[in-house]
Amino acid sequence: MLPARLAWWLLTPALVFVGVFFTVPVLILLSGAFDSNGTVGLAPFFEFFAEPLHQQVYWRTLRLAGLATLVSAVVCYPAAMAMIKVPPPWRGVLTGLVILPLMVSPIARTYAWIVLLGRNGMINAGLVQAGVIPEPMTLLFTEGAVFVGLLQLMMPLMLISLVSALENMPPDVVPAARSLGANRWQTFFRVVLPLTQEGLIIGGTLVFTGCVTAYITPALLGGPKVLMLETLLYQKVNMSSDTHAASVIAVLLLVTTLAVNQLLKRVAR
Amino acid sequence: MKISYAALWVLVLVLFFLVGPFLVVFVAGFSDGETLLFPPKTYSMRWVWHVFEVESFQRSFVTSMWVGVISTLVALLLGVPVAYALSRASLKGQEWVKTWLTLPVVVPGIIVGLALLNHMVLVFNLPVISSLIVGHACLLVPYTVRVVSSSLANLRHDIEDAAVTLGATRWQAFFKVVLPNIRAGVAAAFVLAFITSFNQVPVSLFLTGPGVSTLPIEMMAYMETSYDPSIAALSTVLVVFTMVLVGLTEKLLGISKYV
Repeated sequence: MLPARLAWWLLTPALVFVGVFFTVPVLILLSGAFDSNGTVGLAPFFEFFAEPLHQQVYWRTLRLAGLATLVSAVVCYPAAMAMIKVPPPWRGVLTGLVILPLMVSPIARTYAWIVLLGRNGMINAGLVQAGVIPEPMTLLFTEGAVFVGLLQLMMPLMLISLVSALENMPPDVVPAARSLGANRWQTFFRVVLPLTQEGLIIGGTLVFTGCVTAYITPALLGGPKVLMLETLLYQKVNMSSDTHAASVIAVLLLVTTLAVNQLLKRVAR
Repeated sequence: MKISYAALWVLVLVLFFLVGPFLVVFVAGFSDGETLLFPPKTYSMRWVWHVFEVESFQRSFVTSMWVGVISTLVALLLGVPVAYALSRASLKGQEWVKTWLTLPVVVPGIIVGLALLNHMVLVFNLPVISSLIVGHACLLVPYTVRVVSSSLANLRHDIEDAAVTLGATRWQAFFKVVLPNIRAGVAAAFVLAFITSFNQVPVSLFLTGPGVSTLPIEMMAYMETSYDPSIAALSTVLVVFTMVLVGLTEKLLGISKYV
């Protein structure tokens, strides 16, 4: 056992460093959002949402993040169930294929979609050549492009969470439920889902938070036409030098992710 | 129990969706044409070589390496003592300490970058490079604490107590007994933290200027003005770089159990 006094000495440098270079500046930035011409209150938030564009951006962020979370959960459950049954040597290869993308620069991961979805990209060229469409469609800089990019970026997190939850589930509960007369769907919803919901909640939180706070994907695939909260924040600072609006968006980003995290935890209980 | 074929198909499709885009970038990077095209008409290595000659890429690569290495070292110097203290002492404010030190990964990076710029860099007139290092280091502390903690959890507590009983100081016990046993965990923390810093965009976004920029920021800037295959080629180079780095550490230390 380490004496408590010594332990606190070991903790102090990190606590002070993070406090000085992270907590204090962030708190100053966030508190700035509540200030409007000297009076403190929620007025800046009402002003922010009075603008139709801002409402649109906020709902788009929630919509895309929610949809990406839902779709990755629905797709990753069967994939994770298949994955835990793959025999060992292949299993390691598959795990590598899922983990490796997480370590590669998100720019490299997002760039493929620019290649595929651009006006002269493979999809447009293929469709035009096949005679399905007369001329190239706008695929890039659409909400769909951002959605696909986010899904590809975040899905590994859901898959990993579900795989580890399924691994911790006793393997014989499924055959037990089946032999007692439950069909596949009943087995899933009444046995597998309740036993793995913790993994689902963790995965869901990671995917949702990751989507709301993603910058690269909406910047590269959405552009100025399909703004999300992060790209809007960047625009406010770099194009209109509106730091106050930026701090309002910062508060919204933080409150939204924290609220959804709490909500998902509640659902699990 | 047998694998259901429907589920297996879903798995194959998911993996294809996750890995396929890499293949696209990979192939596009070896194109010979002037503009980005997939699949390319002819192939060559010219854009791959070109990437190493672009001056802004060279400069920002060096910056990214420095920022990555130094901020990772800072995060380890701060994080290893934290992991050790948390695993070997029971303190009253323990949960509070953990929350305080995980906040940097909870708060979106873009907020961290903007806050540092407005309320630190501009106020105290800090040089750009040091603000990048400090910002990245805050973000990396939670990673180093987590990875080193899980490595410490696998180490028996009583061996260092035995060392202390036998006359070693706490300091000697840590450096001669504990540290050699958690070497793999510390190295894994180093690699993971370095990669996180190297790929980091949101925190760096506001902290880079015209003079000093990191590689990912420079890549995004390049994409806005040109449409040649060099970003695809550079992405390919980075994928190979990451794969070699991760592959080596996995082979030597087993990094995947810490992810």
